Amino acid sequence: MNKQNARPWSLAGVLALAFVLAIQTGSTRANAQMITSATSNLNYQYYSVQDYSDAIPELQTIITLQRQQVRMGDVLKEIADKSNLGIAYNADLAILNKRINVNVKKATTSYALQTILLGSGYEAAISRNREIILIAQAELDQADQEPEIAEVSGRVTDAETGEPIPAVNVVVLGTMIGTSTDANGEYSLNVPDDAEVLRFSFLGYKTLEVAVDGRSEVNVSLEADLLALDDIVVVGYGTQQRQEVTGAITSVRSEEIQNIPVSSFENALQGRMAGVNVAESTGEPGASPQITIRGTGSISAGNSPLYVIDGVPITTNRNLQSDIGSQRGSFQPPSANPLATINPKDIESIEVLKDASAAAIYGSRGSNGVILITTKQGTAGRTSVNFSSYVGVSSAFNTPEMMNAADLIAYTKDARNNNYLQEIEVGNRPANPDYNPDTNAGRPNVANFLIPEQYVNWDGTDTDWLDLVLSPAAMQNYDLSISGGNQTSTYSFSTGYLDQEGIIEGSAFQRYTLRLGLTHKLNDALRIGANMNSALAQHDRLPANAPYFGQPPGIIYSALVESSVVKPYNEDGTINQRNNTSFLGGGMTTTSNPLAIMKYISEDIQNTRIFGNLYTEYDIMDNLSFKSLLGYNLESIQQSFYRGTEFLYRNQSSPQPFAQTGAGNLFNWIWENTVNYNTTIGTDHKVNLVAGYTAQKERIERSKIEANGFTDDQITTINGGIVNSGEEVIEEWSLVSALARLNYVFQDKYLLTATVRSDRSSRFGANNQTGVFPSVSLGWRANEESFLSGVDEINELKFRASYGVTGNFEIPNYGAIGLLSGANYVSGGSQLNGVAPSTSSNADLTWETSYQTNFGVDYALLNDRVYGSIDYYTTTTQDLLLFVTVPAASGFDVALTNIGEVENSGFEFSVTSRNMVGAFNWATDFNFATNENTVTKLGPEGDPILSSGAAGTRHITRIGDAIGSYYGYVVEGIYQSQAEIDAAPVDKLVGPGGARPGDFRFKDVDGDGEITSADRTVIGSYHPDYTFGLTNRFEYKNFDFNIFIQGVMGREVLNLTARHLKNGEANFGSYAVLNDRWISESNPGNGEHPRADRSSASHGNNNRESSYQVEDGSYVKIKNLSFGYTLPDTFLNGAFSRARIYTAMTNVAIFTDYIGFNPEVNLQANSSLTPGEDYGAYPLSRTIQVGIDLAF
Amino acid sequence: MKKSLLILLLPLLFISCSEDFTVLGPISERNVVNYYKTQSDFEVAINGAFDALQSSGTFGVNYVLFMEMRADNTANGGGATGLAATLEQLDKFEEIATASELNRTWIASYDGIARANTIISRIDGIDFTSDDVKNRVKGEALFIRSLLYYHLAVIFGNVPLITEEVTAPQNMNLNQSAASAVYAQIATDLAAAEGLLPSTGRVSSGAAAALLGRVHLQAGDKASAVAPLKRVVNSNTYALEANYSDIWGPSNEGSSEILFQVEYMSGNVGEGSSYTDMFTASGVAGGVGGGSAPQSVTDDFIASYEVGDLRQAATLSDSATVEKYEDSPSSPFDSDVNWVEIRYAEVLLNLAEAVGEGAEGYGYINQVRARAGLAAIDGTTPGTYDEKLLQERRVELAFENKRWPDLLRFGIAKSVMASHLGIGEGAVNLLFPIPQSQIDVAPDQMTQNSEH
Repeated sequence: MNKQNARPWSLAGVLALAFVLAIQTGSTRANAQMITSATSNLNYQYYSVQDYSDAIPELQTIITLQRQQVRMGDVLKEIADKSNLGIAYNADLAILNKRINVNVKKATTSYALQTILLGSGYEAAISRNREIILIAQAELDQADQEPEIAEVSGRVTDAETGEPIPAVNVVVLGTMIGTSTDANGEYSLNVPDDAEVLRFSFLGYKTLEVAVDGRSEVNVSLEADLLALDDIVVVGYGTQQRQEVTGAITSVRSEEIQNIPVSSFENALQGRMAGVNVAESTGEPGASPQITIRGTGSISAGNSPLYVIDGVPITTNRNLQSDIGSQRGSFQPPSANPLATINPKDIESIEVLKDASAAAIYGSRGSNGVILITTKQGTAGRTSVNFSSYVGVSSAFNTPEMMNAADLIAYTKDARNNNYLQEIEVGNRPANPDYNPDTNAGRPNVANFLIPEQYVNWDGTDTDWLDLVLSPAAMQNYDLSISGGNQTSTYSFSTGYLDQEGIIEGSAFQRYTLRLGLTHKLNDALRIGANMNSALAQHDRLPANAPYFGQPPGIIYSALVESSVVKPYNEDGTINQRNNTSFLGGGMTTTSNPLAIMKYISEDIQNTRIFGNLYTEYDIMDNLSFKSLLGYNLESIQQSFYRGTEFLYRNQSSPQPFAQTGAGNLFNWIWENTVNYNTTIGTDHKVNLVAGYTAQKERIERSKIEANGFTDDQITTINGGIVNSGEEVIEEWSLVSALARLNYVFQDKYLLTATVRSDRSSRFGANNQTGVFPSVSLGWRANEESFLSGVDEINELKFRASYGVTGNFEIPNYGAIGLLSGANYVSGGSQLNGVAPSTSSNADLTWETSYQTNFGVDYALLNDRVYGSIDYYTTTTQDLLLFVTVPAASGFDVALTNIGEVENSGFEFSVTSRNMVGAFNWATDFNFATNENTVTKLGPEGDPILSSGAAGTRHITRIGDAIGSYYGYVVEGIYQSQAEIDAAPVDKLVGPGGARPGDFRFKDVDGDGEITSADRTVIGSYHPDYTFGLTNRFEYKNFDFNIFIQGVMGREVLNLTARHLKNGEANFGSYAVLNDRWISESNPGNGEHPRADRSSASHGNNNRESSYQVEDGSYVKIKNLSFGYTLPDTFLNGAFSRARIYTAMTNVAIFTDYIGFNPEVNLQANSSLTPGEDYGAYPLSRTIQVGIDLAF
Repeated sequence: MKKSLLILLLPLLFISCSEDFTVLGPISERNVVNYYKTQSDFEVAINGAFDALQSSGTFGVNYVLFMEMRADNTANGGGATGLAATLEQLDKFEEIATASELNRTWIASYDGIARANTIISRIDGIDFTSDDVKNRVKGEALFIRSLLYYHLAVIFGNVPLITEEVTAPQNMNLNQSAASAVYAQIATDLAAAEGLLPSTGRVSSGAAAALLGRVHLQAGDKASAVAPLKRVVNSNTYALEANYSDIWGPSNEGSSEILFQVEYMSGNVGEGSSYTDMFTASGVAGGVGGGSAPQSVTDDFIASYEVGDLRQAATLSDSATVEKYEDSPSSPFDSDVNWVEIRYAEVLLNLAEAVGEGAEGYGYINQVRARAGLAAIDGTTPGTYDEKLLQERRVELAFENKRWPDLLRFGIAKSVMASHLGIGEGAVNLLFPIPQSQIDVAPDQMTQNSEH
């Protein structure tokens, strides 16, 4: 029987072949419905066991059955039982009562059925209801039923390397007779002499079918099939063959992200995909990284992509978290990552929809790209049990070099001397002959002239504050999953536990997850399924991320600022809070002891999330199915913050105890109804049509209560103090949509995808409630053309072009509606409740709209040894949402308005190359992406937006530059002599003392001969010019080795810590680079750093906002190294089907000029207008781990 | 098949029945869609309009800068840096149109006007359970709007005259009007308000009449000022406090001399006033503008008291700092001191100005002088009537934001300030510049004052 005949038999075909046995109840495990349908309705198909043994998983069940003289009917029942099949037959049939001997040992059901029926005149078949039925071999010649047995043997090798391939499946096509190759790639098989075709299959290679042609030796070589793993691509509302995809979609395999020691999968995506930029701005366990896909397209509506998990768009709602009441807005800690509630181990695949063609199916939410997450499902057949675990140790990574005490003392004296001497020089102070550069002798009692006493008489203390604050931390992770199923039902169950300590002791992240996925076939046409995920993420947080003057102060910045001359502990072992830098004298900057911050201030966040879906699919007709999905997402957050009664803020002598509790709840439901129609017209036309409508609604509730007046630390909840303020916020949004997509393939060569979505949302103003988002894309598979058919080197060459419209609907829930806020008044000494309008209405308010064009090529060359994609895109985002200045005579000074335009364009390249294939495997993945961000329209007049981040106005968003560019003066160099100063443009901004040699020379940008505020200009931006990722994978025998390098180029950091730690004022700790400062004309240092001067602000003003504080944030990082060993079968002795042990290191090394911890730092990560500021952040850590993956 | 079709139809029904599905209003925030519907809504909203008077952009801080510090009674400390340096520029007529104080005052004044406009535009169609309440709320809204427009007209001169709620700020018609048109609108509004307001209360009909009189004077229409001011006097509702020093301070908020005051309370609930910090020696140091620095009293003013004037000791401390706003706040800008905006002494002096020289006029002035322990004056007293009246106003109403409008109204602002500062008269600006950002946002509709 050849392959062409291997198709379901129609009823007519069955009648022609044989008569159908009348069927009578007498079955074993088949349920009543199946029997009924089988008896009442003959209109269904049959599958011959011989032909379909490998297509029907039940037939591959391994059974053992040894019986003497038993009835054929009983044997069939028993086989059906063991294989989870039903059975249907006519009890009168003589054959059923025939007594037979059965001796089947560890063989497939298929083999057993064929064996026991051999020569009986009947052949086994499987009905569509999964019942074993018997069909008479009326037309077969009895003589042929006992085929001769012949032996076939041979060797299987790799087509390219000639190396033998072990464990290749060899099967006689149409039977279950088969074996697998041994370690030398050799096999030997007894086959019926009429066997025609052998099939060789092995994961990662193309399956090969070879005609036997009576040979006794069949040697084959297999070709690697590199694309096999991701042949199917998940797209919105369905899946597609990769070769037919016309949009820009990038996938990442689950293996790549699973054993990375991070709290959330997004961190593991860094550097993996071209155009998907993941920035780890903080190392705080459980904090969010920032993902931007193809650049920053929005100023105020957020740049976070839409996450869709198993078809359910998930809100990553950071609004559930309350700000710390005592902390100012720009110093708020990074949000606890809502997506950290998802266990990376539960993820099967991640697809990123990058262009408008792919994302337009998500309409008003597609502008920032869409990340589709598919979770693992059970598969019918064998039960699989997986266990994996790793333990690791994290430690500080890329710690900046700070001055030691001796250098700091010299630097501080230098700064105070220079200050005093300049004041004498300009005549503000009389000279004093007693002046001594090393002591306070002869100096006036002015704080900024005096050297702190502990610097004059140093006792040798040299504290390494960073070393005290950062310590190694443990990490452990355990995952267990069990999945399996049969033809009617599948299940997948998993549970996981992650415990990650932070390198600042006391900070930690823990996650507990539980997941269940079920599918069930109710009958031929109706399927149901459910996924349920539940998780608890617990964040133990410390205030690591703020500057030293934050409320609470940041631990890291406090440690950087604290002088190394100060002892961390008092003699009695308590934390030194009363004799630290705050009390050195000489006007030194006051700062809290970072150890006290760690000990006395804490925050706990508990984040629970339950989300999932229930769905049903119904086949209305052969090609037409209907799916209804109900998805839900429940999230709650409980926050508790406490600042204890022993904590002293900077130089304060009395504590300010404070507690805050916050709670947040989110309920989001979605109901989606879609129909999917597939048809083939002739051989040339393939059509797939998806259409549907969806409704989604979300409600969030958030409350916060603050208390102070704590007298002790016994009760650290708000109950322990006096409650003094509170708030509760409740908001809702809703979205109703209709969507449709057409995929059309002509001759497998010409591809068309067209989508449209219409969204109506409560967020939009009454005049603009509904938006339509269309897209179209075309593909041409040139490799299918005849002129390329002879070119063996090209396996795939597909040209793609797309254009589409998407939106960004992340505007405030009630941005279109004028809100009132409290405006109380007083009468006779008591308060009167009052309200007043606080925002204006805007009935025209609507989504931001992005228009994106994408051109791309997908290629696979040299027998799929090299494959990848190239893309070029330009995106224009219009109707940018801005707070625009309006005439204040209206009663409002700003109004949220859709006005503004930004462009992003870029080039993306990715390639996977199998450099060496064979016993030694070496493969390389490389991706590279550029993006250029340019503002093209702003507000009614195009006025630039000057933005204040954490330290005054240092950002500008203006036409022609990137959003949130850094803004300030340009440092051209350092004045080496008075003559240079005299020849330079007059600096109108310096103090009365003026600049001196060693001070910065600021650039006269506008060329008017003066340095004024008009000489501020764009001095850098956080937006990288390009990013890349490079993975090399090596395998030799059972060993595997992996190295992953990732880089970001052309990004600058606005290092606000430079305002203190490298400003020349020497009023605190300092970066060690200031040892190379300008000291004198004969000792000018390395030319980068100015002289020391305590009162620089009234002299040369080296500390003004300038390019000196903007540093190159480009970096190349060896992000991950791993080394694994897969235990050999002999060792396992059959206990496991696979066992791998490995060790890995994350954050191995970084190559960067950035002076601080982390060149990806971003204080206000969610503020597009003020990106890239470093004001002290939780550092990243290096993690070394060992782990094991077991499959049973 | 039939069943499956039904399943398909279900969501259709759901969608088509739910046009309202995407109409969602705020839940935990009041909003213009569902507020301003009941009497109680308006009673709360009018409190919100009063709140605008407390703002630092209006009476809280900035009106003091523009109406008092600008004149010759006080001076900025000098040698100041940062924000205080901007104040010094304002004090010395060196201000620039981009000064943030100007913009803040513009924004805060119009914010209050908009709060009043919203009430005025919406109240007529609403059923109140009490017409008295409705009249009072509407009268108070008209009064607040008038008071704010009076300040805008004095400070900036030509300002947009907006009298309706603005619902589309991006596309509004600014209607920049001369001060005279603004005064005319105020006169209309106050006449209406006087009829709506009760005879007593936080804004009485008398307060409306008194303000109407003041505005007529400022508009140069003395004749029209007489009648409303006389209505106040003849109502016999108000009287001079026996002791001048009893008018101010937290304990004197119910004084029968006070026709209208902006009320404050201490306690760190955001309702405290900053006058103690701005004027007096006992303000809490630490904030910008804290302590007496920005409002040091000029020698010229100290010298202007007649011997025996009881007001001097009540106005100035021994060290010549301002005593009127003395209090003991525990934190900066959180004093209990109210701002006394209209009091009976001003009504008497306004009336004296309105009726002009004569026995009647001197009679009003002498009522005020008598309380100060000073002898009566008449036509034989040296100096012109205007000089005598202005001198009386200067000491009686010192540090009450009356001096700068007086100098303007009496036409001597340029000469007085030029000699006070030692600058040329040409350098003395009668109007402040309209904030540059307000011109930038609507350059086609807004014109800068010619002096700037």
